[in-house]
Amino acid sequence: MGSPRPTLELHPEAPSFAAGLLNELVAALGELADGELLALHGPAELQQDLERWARFTGNTLVEMTPGSETTRYLVRKGAPRSYEEAPAVGSRLWLYSNFDCNLACDYCCVRSSPRAEPRTLSLEDVQRAAREAPPAGVRELLVTGGEPFLRPDIAEVLLACAHALPTTVLTNGLLFAGKRRLTLRELPRDRIVFQISLDSPTSALHDQHRGQGTWEKARAGIAAAREEGFRVRLASTVSDARAEEEFRAFVRREGIPEQDCVLRRVALRGFADEGVALSRADLVPEVTLTASGIYWHPVGATDDDFFVTSRRFPLSEGIQAVQLAFEEERRFATALASVFRCA
Amino acid sequence: MLETITIGAVAYDPKVVGIWEGLRTYFREEAKVPVEVVLYLSYEAQVAALLAGRIDIAWNTNLAYLQAEHLSQGRCRPLAMRDTDLEWWTEIVARKGGPVRQLSDLRGKRLALGSRDSGHAAILPVHFLAESGLVEGRDYQSVRFNTDLGKHGDTGTSEVDVLRAVLNGEADAGAVGSPFWAGVLAGNLVPAGAVEPIWSSPHYHHCMFTARVGLPAEDAARFTDALFKMNHEPRLRPILEAEGLKEWVAPHAEGYASLRDAALRQGFFAPRS
Repeated sequence: MGSPRPTLELHPEAPSFAAGLLNELVAALGELADGELLALHGPAELQQDLERWARFTGNTLVEMTPGSETTRYLVRKGAPRSYEEAPAVGSRLWLYSNFDCNLACDYCCVRSSPRAEPRTLSLEDVQRAAREAPPAGVRELLVTGGEPFLRPDIAEVLLACAHALPTTVLTNGLLFAGKRRLTLRELPRDRIVFQISLDSPTSALHDQHRGQGTWEKARAGIAAAREEGFRVRLASTVSDARAEEEFRAFVRREGIPEQDCVLRRVALRGFADEGVALSRADLVPEVTLTASGIYWHPVGATDDDFFVTSRRFPLSEGIQAVQLAFEEERRFATALASVFRCA
Repeated sequence: MLETITIGAVAYDPKVVGIWEGLRTYFREEAKVPVEVVLYLSYEAQVAALLAGRIDIAWNTNLAYLQAEHLSQGRCRPLAMRDTDLEWWTEIVARKGGPVRQLSDLRGKRLALGSRDSGHAAILPVHFLAESGLVEGRDYQSVRFNTDLGKHGDTGTSEVDVLRAVLNGEADAGAVGSPFWAGVLAGNLVPAGAVEPIWSSPHYHHCMFTARVGLPAEDAARFTDALFKMNHEPRLRPILEAEGLKEWVAPHAEGYASLRDAALRQGFFAPRS
């Protein structure tokens, strides 16, 4: 995680809920708007009760940072989103092919950069995951990084995936030249979609986050992928509603179908020091396979709080572990519904 | 003697279907009492059906029982209830160390209440508080959660809303029924000691099987005899547990005076239009 900036710091006098902490907590939250953050400093033993309170009330415990004397609990005011419209857990499988990248975007949620440890998902692991995915209920593969096209064996990776299931590859689009351009020609157009990052309609904002000259190169990459006959989706990471609307207008001007435009807000993870604070409670899991284990969601694939299991194979068991973790997350709602028995 | 005894129940939750499948099977196949079950989505509809004679017996909340009794001029009779319907009470809960530590502290404060047709989470707390000199709107401001209207509070969702409001600071105190509060404590659903009862109401009773006007005595007896026989059949225990009781008991009609008075004052006995 970065260094989130809370709106309010609370050093309560009461060390526990039993001692009256709740009054200080609700008074502090009363000063915040939905979505704003409160940093509560308290003993480590507070965690379980704070989680219980957050779950019941619909506020979100986003982060816990142990200190020498107290733990800093970051609480976001407001309810997590509804689970109802999300795809079935396990129907999508994310493969983190590698964590190193030719760029060092300042909001990267998994801290990828040229200096990042690659933590490469071996070709054997990719092939095994692709083989085991369809019978485990997976309907779609998504290959991401880092920058997947840094891998010399990216063609084999994508061919293994595309052979098994429809596959989307997330890339910055900056490496479609020379031998790598030829690599594109080996890939099946009907099974692979490119999702290329383009953060703004003009170069200024994109280059500010991703590096000078990258907007032009990304545009060239998009053109190259299209020339090779691939469907290309644009992925834009935006910081606010105004930027989102500007990008939507750009997409309309460009004649890009709405379904080929993926907009998301900057997440308060990885390098980001501001953005949308997300916890497990906010996100329906999308099973994410890395070299070191299985994570709850790709947005937190380097964060301990999103780690689910180090046992990656058989893949069906890894997926089941995520499904069980999700059931546990939802158990509280069920418990609330069953405390009352009547006629 | 009736060919079929028709029983009404309110499906406040999908599990009600399973419970009444089990009861119906028991009555028909084991007790040899020919019953049929009609499920309603509101107690108002069920009471209207009972008064119109479309059903013979209704599984009623305390409010629905009293509405049927009042609107039939006392001719709808109580037949049986669960042991767990006896001796309910309402807890007024508040944040530990917060602004409300005793009942008199409610003056000028916000009190969260459940659905307005819930005896335990709205009607009775308002009534008991008025008896203690605290009048809604004059002495305290109510924050009402009418989230399961028609179900008379059976779903418990409005009590969840009440407790959430206290935990969130939207209310200074809240009214919940004793079974709900016991479930919250047993399930460790809130931080230990964060919210505590600051006042407990006098006791009252809850659900009641209610017979329509003119139900032949022998049919009422066939029904209650079969019902009470269930108490002694260990293999029927899962049905009783699903219904939330250890045994069926004879009516304790004395435990409804406070709700009868409260419902009359709060306008719950007006004829259904």
